[in-house]
Amino acid sequence: MKILIFSIALSTLFFAACNNGTTKNQSSEEPSSAANNQEAPAATVNPAGELVNNYLQLKDALTKDNDKDAATAGNEMVKAFNNFDKASLTPEQAKVYNDIEEDAKEHAEHIGANAGNIEHQREHFETLSEEMYELVKSVGAGRKLYYTHCPMYNKNKGADWLSQTKEIQNPYLGKAMSTCGTVKEELN
Amino acid sequence: MSRIKITLLALLLVFILIQFIRPARNENGQASTDQIGKVYAVPENVKAVLKASCYDCHSNNTHYPWYAEIQPAGWWLASHIKKGKSELNFDLFGEYSKRRQDSKLKSIANSIEDGTMPLPSYTLIHADAKLSKDEKMLIKNWVKTTRDSLSKKK
Repeated sequence: MKILIFSIALSTLFFAACNNGTTKNQSSEEPSSAANNQEAPAATVNPAGELVNNYLQLKDALTKDNDKDAATAGNEMVKAFNNFDKASLTPEQAKVYNDIEEDAKEHAEHIGANAGNIEHQREHFETLSEEMYELVKSVGAGRKLYYTHCPMYNKNKGADWLSQTKEIQNPYLGKAMSTCGTVKEELN
Repeated sequence: MSRIKITLLALLLVFILIQFIRPARNENGQASTDQIGKVYAVPENVKAVLKASCYDCHSNNTHYPWYAEIQPAGWWLASHIKKGKSELNFDLFGEYSKRRQDSKLKSIANSIEDGTMPLPSYTLIHADAKLSKDEKMLIKNWVKTTRDSLSKKK
């Protein structure tokens, strides 16, 4: 009898320990709240301006191999999607925006939740960049941007990104291959 | 009674009590119209792999192991399934926007390549869910074919 009680108690503890383990993991995944105190980006009338600003912060963080800042910028992008002023778009622009919104927001969320795993953040950044490009093509960005191509990323499959500068600073390969890439298109 | 005995009895009591708190089971039974097989071609061999290795957490029908009946293991499973389904649900695949479908397919191939999926803690217990090299290749090729057909439709 004693042995039975003991073994049941032990298994309870074991399962409780397992359970604790997962909750702890989840809480450590939560993004830091340092995001809130960033300087306000330049005021812009373009509806995509805020989103583009956050995107560029994300891109800059990735060029510096900084996963934490990338996560912060990802979370800011989620907020920008939530606050996006759809009413100011023309029907054609709204079509483009609605097409990308759901997916792009999810990419931003994943980037926000994956501090500590920069390669995973970059995987999501790749598709997010394509979607931001389409959005900027349609809605504009309120600033000049360069659509840039890195031929080496993902086993030479290549990937693109938007940049505010003509000089190449590669967000996919980071500091290791900082200047790899070419400008494909100038967006005004 | 000694103090140890009282503690053990208390633990036993807690253990018995938590057995009555049971999470709802993720079992639907009927096939939904938005399953991935209804919107894209999924060959039988691919379907078999997905079913064995993914559907427990990424569909509306979980095949429950015996220890799901014992709490708190059942709670732990339920939280995994909830998270898994919110990331990707093969039974609702047709509901996703085309872009999201494409992103999900990309993530499937990536996570298999990286070995983050199926979860190592899952394959530890479900040895049959572990993907062999050939199975990984099979899924990755299927993802590629499906994504190519998606980009043609655009």
